[in-house]
Amino acid sequence: MIEWSETDELIRESIREFIDKEIRPRTDELESGQLPPYDIIRKLFASFGVGEIAREGFDQLIEHEKRKADTGSGAGGSAAGSGGGSGFTLAGQETMALIAISELAGVSLGILASAGVSLGLAAGTIMSKGTLEQKQRWVPELLTFDKVGAWAITEPEAGSDAFGGMTTTVRRDGDDYILTGHKTFITNGPYADTIVVYAKLDTGDGTPIRDRKVLAFVLDAGMDGLERSTPFKKMGLGSSPTGELSFDHVRLGRDRLLGETEGTAKDESADSGRESARANFTAERIGVAALSLGIINECHRLCVDYAASRTLWGQEIGRLQLIQAKLAEMEIARLNVQNMVFRTVEKLRAGTQPSLAEASAMKLYSSRAATEVAMEAVQLFGGNGYMTEYRVEQLARDAKGLMIYAGSNEVQTTHIAKGLLGR
Amino acid sequence: MTNIVVLVKQVPDTYSERKLTETDHTLDRESADAVLDEINERAVEEALKIKEAGEGEVTVLCVGPDRATDAIRKALSMGADKAVHVSDEALHGSDLVATSRVIAAAIGKLDSVDLVIAGNEASDGRGGAVPAVVAELLGLPQLTHAHHLAVEGSTVKVDRETADEGITHLEANLPALVSVTEKINEPRYPSFKGIMAAKKKPVETYTVADLGIDAGEVGLTNAWSAVQSASPKPPRQAGERVEDDGEGGTKIAEYLVGQKLV
Ligand SMILES: Cc1cc2nc3c(=O)[nH]c(=O)nc-3n(C[C@H](O)[C@H](O)[C@H](O)COP(=O)(O)OP(=O)(O)OC[C@H]3O[C@@H](n4cnc5c(N)ncnc54)[C@H](O)[C@@H]3O)c2cc1C
Repeated sequence: MIEWSETDELIRESIREFIDKEIRPRTDELESGQLPPYDIIRKLFASFGVGEIAREGFDQLIEHEKRKADTGSGAGGSAAGSGGGSGFTLAGQETMALIAISELAGVSLGILASAGVSLGLAAGTIMSKGTLEQKQRWVPELLTFDKVGAWAITEPEAGSDAFGGMTTTVRRDGDDYILTGHKTFITNGPYADTIVVYAKLDTGDGTPIRDRKVLAFVLDAGMDGLERSTPFKKMGLGSSPTGELSFDHVRLGRDRLLGETEGTAKDESADSGRESARANFTAERIGVAALSLGIINECHRLCVDYAASRTLWGQEIGRLQLIQAKLAEMEIARLNVQNMVFRTVEKLRAGTQPSLAEASAMKLYSSRAATEVAMEAVQLFGGNGYMTEYRVEQLARDAKGLMIYAGSNEVQTTHIAKGLLGR
Repeated sequence: MTNIVVLVKQVPDTYSERKLTETDHTLDRESADAVLDEINERAVEEALKIKEAGEGEVTVLCVGPDRATDAIRKALSMGADKAVHVSDEALHGSDLVATSRVIAAAIGKLDSVDLVIAGNEASDGRGGAVPAVVAELLGLPQLTHAHHLAVEGSTVKVDRETADEGITHLEANLPALVSVTEKINEPRYPSFKGIMAAKKKPVETYTVADLGIDAGEVGLTNAWSAVQSASPKPPRQAGERVEDDGEGGTKIAEYLVGQKLV
């Protein structure tokens, strides 16, 4: 793939129209956190038929699994998904999704963070690891955004070291489990209806806490003992509510254990919880490249316009070589990140995926490029750049988030190195 | 089954600066982004609603240069079924009477049209007479300036709203022509599926000759009116500032009366 197709460009136009009418006039409310993003996301999904497309894909998958179960290969219906990523295929619509994502990132990265976590991580995890019943129970309403999803792994003492440092615990109690602990930095946490939570299993046999099994559960808002905090104030991504969740002896039936199995693996690194979290990594990192591209594109566009119109000493600043150097660097970043996205599309179309190491390299490079481009955009705009009205300062604050979440860039470095050195 | 034809026009985006060309004072189409006129999006939306509520087929009809295909594509992406595009060099600079003739002839090429929906006026020319002229040429009842439209059986019902006459209720038997105002609805965005499907929808193109119209009856040289000169809009004057010392309301009223605005 060397260019977006004509259809992609039409989609871009259509998304821009939506952005201009529905998002830009409310940027202040959204970015200040006054207006949660969910109604706009719902309208976006309804307007472009995203929910409908996802729903059709879901129905097909479910039909397929039912048939498989009927022919006896999926004992008891507790089948895992096809593996490799979120459990959804974009079936020829990769570029549509990517172009829509990158357009939106240029105006409100937070909206995408909220939508992406709900759909990609919450629904995606249930799709790939849940039983047929669990999928049918939770996924449809997440797809249409009638319900908001969250995905909770990070804890105050366990970020990059999420599995090892995790202390949120479940204990068996008859057929049920009792969940106790605390999660933080959870996207959509303050408003989530459906929450995927990771916790360590304490069997009371004295296994050191670092080595205990990690299990994933699905919780619903309103359960006894579940508390959602109000949103944090943060540097960027203002339109995406981020908060804490706490669990005080929340009783969970086995029907809430993802896959309804604790996994049989002796090796802790292969238990059901760890595996299900890792399955998301590649898809999430690819997503960051598309988001970065959107931020770069928007900065690039704004800066080229500004360089051609801002006049100093009787000439446009675009004639100054130091300004030209900034524009050139932005163009290089745009080409590189776009090429990474195009290569990913080619891979998906060929039925494969980038490796985890490659996805990590893309995530690291593109998030850093987006942050640098956006900071340089602020500089190019001078005092105006520092003012909210000119929009680039928001893009710079948003972009920085991409270097931290979805695995901090230092962690990406370790994954790239692992890929190179074979561990 | 209601067969609906929607008249659509490509216009310069109202957000860009709109100009007439220096040479023949026709619209400078190169100077601004071209878009499907928003009032036509509303007309298409209304047609789609009628179709979705029952059965029917929506055809968009556009008279305009080749690049108007973009506007047609947009209407098809929204959900219209097919399109007719009349494109001919000879049409350049046609007045609204000639344009209406071409539209009427193109509608005549389609079989069994029940309802024609148009915007009440295009945002560029703003003549606002095309719907009425087309209805007259086709011998259809005209229900113009509709802010509400309903089809019940073979009857079309409309609430007509104008500044002079307020709201009037109109009814007519189908086939009929309706023009809609900005208040009629909020148009949908083309969905992803709609955009993909639009590529495969049929677009028929005609020249004026195909419609049995002589090129000598249309175009700039045959227009009934001619633009002699054009000058850009004067810059806006500074407004009048009124300090409110308790008499603000009275002063505003006096100003409005002075300007004959109330
Ligand atoms: C806006 C936002 C939204 C988020 N949403 C979610 C969510 O929905 N769900 C969720 O579970 N979590 C979420 N997170 C949490 C996010 O995944 C973590 O913040 C991230 O993984 C980093 O963990 P930490 O904050 O604990 O930093 P730490 O792990 O404490 O890192 C501190 C520093 O040490 C560096 N470091 C860590 N390990 C290594 C290493 N091995 N080698 C070198 N350097 C290292 C880090 O890169 C960092 O610079 C979100 C975070 C943010 C900012």
